Amino acid sequence: MDAILRVNGLGFAYDAAEVLRDVGLELRGGELLALLGPNGSGKSTLIRALLGMLRTRGTIVWLGRDLRRWRRRELARQVAYLPQSPAWEPQQTVGDVLKLGRAPYWGPFGIESEDDLRIVREVADLLELGKLLQRRLDEISGGQRQRVFLGRALAQRPRAMLLDEPGTFLDLRHQVYVLRLLRELVTEQGIAVLMASHDLTLSAAFADRVLVLHEGRVVAAGPAAQVLEPGLLQQVYGVPMHVLHRPGGPPIVVPDVS
Amino acid sequence: MTRWSPTRAILTIALSLAAWLIVAVACTLVGSSGVIGWPTEQFIAIARRERVLLASLVGAALASAGVVYQAILRNPLADPYLLGASTGASLSAYLWQCSFTTTLLASATAQVLSQQTAAFVGACVSVAIVLVLASSRGRLEPITLLLVGVIVNAVNASVFLLVNSLSREMPGSGGPLAFLVGGINPNLTPQQFRAAAALVAAALVAMLYLSGQLNVAALGESESQSLGVHIQRLRWVALIIGSLVTAAAVSVSGPIGFIGLVCPHLGRLIVGGDTRRLLPVATAIGAALLCLADAATRLLAAQPSVGTALPVGVLTSMLGGPFFLLLLWRNRRRINLGGG
Repeated sequence: MDAILRVNGLGFAYDAAEVLRDVGLELRGGELLALLGPNGSGKSTLIRALLGMLRTRGTIVWLGRDLRRWRRRELARQVAYLPQSPAWEPQQTVGDVLKLGRAPYWGPFGIESEDDLRIVREVADLLELGKLLQRRLDEISGGQRQRVFLGRALAQRPRAMLLDEPGTFLDLRHQVYVLRLLRELVTEQGIAVLMASHDLTLSAAFADRVLVLHEGRVVAAGPAAQVLEPGLLQQVYGVPMHVLHRPGGPPIVVPDVS
Repeated sequence: MTRWSPTRAILTIALSLAAWLIVAVACTLVGSSGVIGWPTEQFIAIARRERVLLASLVGAALASAGVVYQAILRNPLADPYLLGASTGASLSAYLWQCSFTTTLLASATAQVLSQQTAAFVGACVSVAIVLVLASSRGRLEPITLLLVGVIVNAVNASVFLLVNSLSREMPGSGGPLAFLVGGINPNLTPQQFRAAAALVAAALVAMLYLSGQLNVAALGESESQSLGVHIQRLRWVALIIGSLVTAAAVSVSGPIGFIGLVCPHLGRLIVGGDTRRLLPVATAIGAALLCLADAATRLLAAQPSVGTALPVGVLTSMLGGPFFLLLLWRNRRRINLGGG
């Protein structure tokens, strides 16, 4: 499938501190790409750069058009973003949050179309949130809330989603639930997903490819089974790692704490 | 889950207007002699109507600016005076009355301009200083804005006191006190009222137009950008519109406290936090509340124990403060003070 995103020679510095150096990557439709790396390696900065929130060097091309030539509203109809800790107000209802995902399609005065409401209902059904639409955000669990934010991103009807650690604050069961859901969306709807993550094993299990960032540089990219090897991981994370390979299954990565 | 359709938007605005109209008509029945009833003399009816309309205009302006400030600054405690509009207006109006200023300016200019115009210009200049000082490479950050606003307010107030202590020859009526505690000033010319009304009306339309984006802006910078909102541009536009409206209000009434802070919260209790619904409702609440407060000052003036017309700003501050605390206390769960 054609590349939805192409990045070449991407660089960014906060004052004198280089955070991203010569980053290149490609994201295709129907692909789940996991962005790995320790804290401070530049994962969140890279995601923000891809959305045009930072003044960067290099080129970022979304759907064949340079990022600088996209109008913000147009881009929001193609690319959705879920930050590490989405902002929320306790008094907002699940329905209110999902409806915000349609904001790039609203008319003047914030007028919504019939389509907007239909799509919100479809997303709510897909994420099993239909019965929670009137519930306030402070009345639902952390796992349900994360599904709501994912739903807001899906309501944008995007062709690509950039997710910054979508498993944050979720227990293992809900992390697996969210990743399964993403996998389904990628496979069945052809959405491209770029997901920053700290969980190497889960990333290996669900992503088509992984991309490892270290000190702002891409140090490895490819299928998890090829990329995740103990030498690289020790160099990047600074702790010895065991990578357990199973026949027919994704690798399992555990730190050596002995 | 309901759709924000054109019909719903018009219905919300119409219901808000109707609610305000009922209160406004009721308030025209309240006379300054303490008598409640339809005035028999036409000139009294006109005077009361003008007073009610002016109170409504100021209340609507402050409440709508409050909604916009709270949304764009992501701060539920933001009020329209935060960026220096009120102290800028007070200082400017005060300087306007100083004899050395009037001498300094040509008398011809003085005839064209009025104290209200001076207050409007002062409010705008003060807000412009805050916006320029708080911006960095064209970006406005809410926290920096709040800090710079507090400092500019403090500097304005201290210059006010300095001028006051150096020059003790201030005129009495409509003098400095009128711009320390606001009141409904019935001595405006029709032109002044019309100018303020036109500005507030145009700004309200612009605010309603932006209300969808303001809704998204409450999410914060990166999320609102990813939902298609040009957040830095929206901040500039919204703050300039909100400040112009505040300047218009403060220039005709002086700083009237708490309307801009409390009305958005009252509106939220009725229709929730969606800015598209909240803006018309809170605006109507502001207009109605200030009418009621002004009518209350007329009733109080008729009481022998009071005997004088209190500036409405005294009443709104005295009642608004405790009322706001009560509101917070009773709705600690519903009113979020975390700002996100």
